[in-house]
Amino acid sequence: MTAETSRDNAPPTALERTRARSAELFGEFRDESASSASRDGAREALVHLHLPLVEHCARRFRNRGEPLEDLVQVGTIGLIKSIDRFDTERGVEFSTYATPTIIGEIKRYFRDKGWAIRVPRRLQELRMQITSATAELTQRLGRSPTPRELAEAIGCSVEEIVEGMESSNAYATLSLDASSDDGEDGAGQSMLDAIGVDDEGLEHVELRESIKPLLESLPAREKKILLLRFFKNMTQSQIAAEIGVSQMHVSRLLSRTLTQLRQSLEQEDD
Amino acid sequence: MSGTSSLAVEGAQGAGAQPTVEIRLPADGAYASVLRTLAAGLAARLDFTMEDIEDLRMVVSEAASLVLDQAAADTVLTCTFDLSQTDRLSLEISTDTTAPASADYENFGWQVLAVLAEDAAIETSATRFSVRATVLSAIERDAGA
Repeated sequence: MTAETSRDNAPPTALERTRARSAELFGEFRDESASSASRDGAREALVHLHLPLVEHCARRFRNRGEPLEDLVQVGTIGLIKSIDRFDTERGVEFSTYATPTIIGEIKRYFRDKGWAIRVPRRLQELRMQITSATAELTQRLGRSPTPRELAEAIGCSVEEIVEGMESSNAYATLSLDASSDDGEDGAGQSMLDAIGVDDEGLEHVELRESIKPLLESLPAREKKILLLRFFKNMTQSQIAAEIGVSQMHVSRLLSRTLTQLRQSLEQEDD
Repeated sequence: MSGTSSLAVEGAQGAGAQPTVEIRLPADGAYASVLRTLAAGLAARLDFTMEDIEDLRMVVSEAASLVLDQAAADTVLTCTFDLSQTDRLSLEISTDTTAPASADYENFGWQVLAVLAEDAAIETSATRFSVRATVLSAIERDAGA
């Protein structure tokens, strides 16, 4: 306490105030002699006080295909658990104790609920292993790995890799057909309705139809380059090797062809 | 596909075994996933890369859906996978049809298939409709280049 005296005159920072308030509320919450109403009130106040921590944790997991609100909700469960379990005697800050619990709860949500089709835990873990091993091996080999290479890297059988590939597709289906009929607002709406934009695919159909005759009129080599680049996802250097010209040349041909296509499409629209 | 004729089997692992796999399934879309998994399993045996296997799965899906469109009621889908070469996997999916349609090369599924596979072809006769395609292995292709 004496070391703090010099700073006592300065107004406490937001963090210090939160910590002080937190300690105070934990005192009330743990007070065996207090009425259960006041203890419940303290617990409630603690949850509200620390909600920003949950939001902070949840934000680390956004852009992973799950709505932030859901993650906050799940994280809040983690927060409540840590409030109930927190031991004030330990001498650590509550946030230090709660953060791993909240993050753990969110991670568990991804593992258990993020799948559109319930996939056995063993396969979920295998899928994660396949994903990371694929990234690593692709880097090392300069090409996509074979199932056998993956099996060796992970230490499982080739059959399991094939099985794992199959289960990856179960995760990917988490998307537009998920209906949110449990919500009060927008009951029975699908995720597609909630997103509120036109399906890009539909627009593509129209584009594809108008592009088709234009593609047909392209010289054979230009057409091949386009297909290799956009359908086969080959890099410009791979295409260069395949066609037998330099990568720079492929790049020039690609941009020229695309400009031509774009211009022809625009003229059509006029 | 010249089924049982004694081909010179180059690089086949199983000594003496005829490297052709054939499966007959009810002509029902529900079995498409079985076909995809089988194809992936076979390609894994041939040491295809994951990318090639993804391509193959797509080819199988598109070929199956082309053929299923033409299948007569209560018929079977016959699928043959030729594994006689290590650098490629050729497949043929066919079925009995009552109203033989002419090949529709404008179909989007066909376009996808034609881009991903080599030697893709649609064959129709009065009673059969079949789609053939060959998917190459990137590893063998790079090694050969």
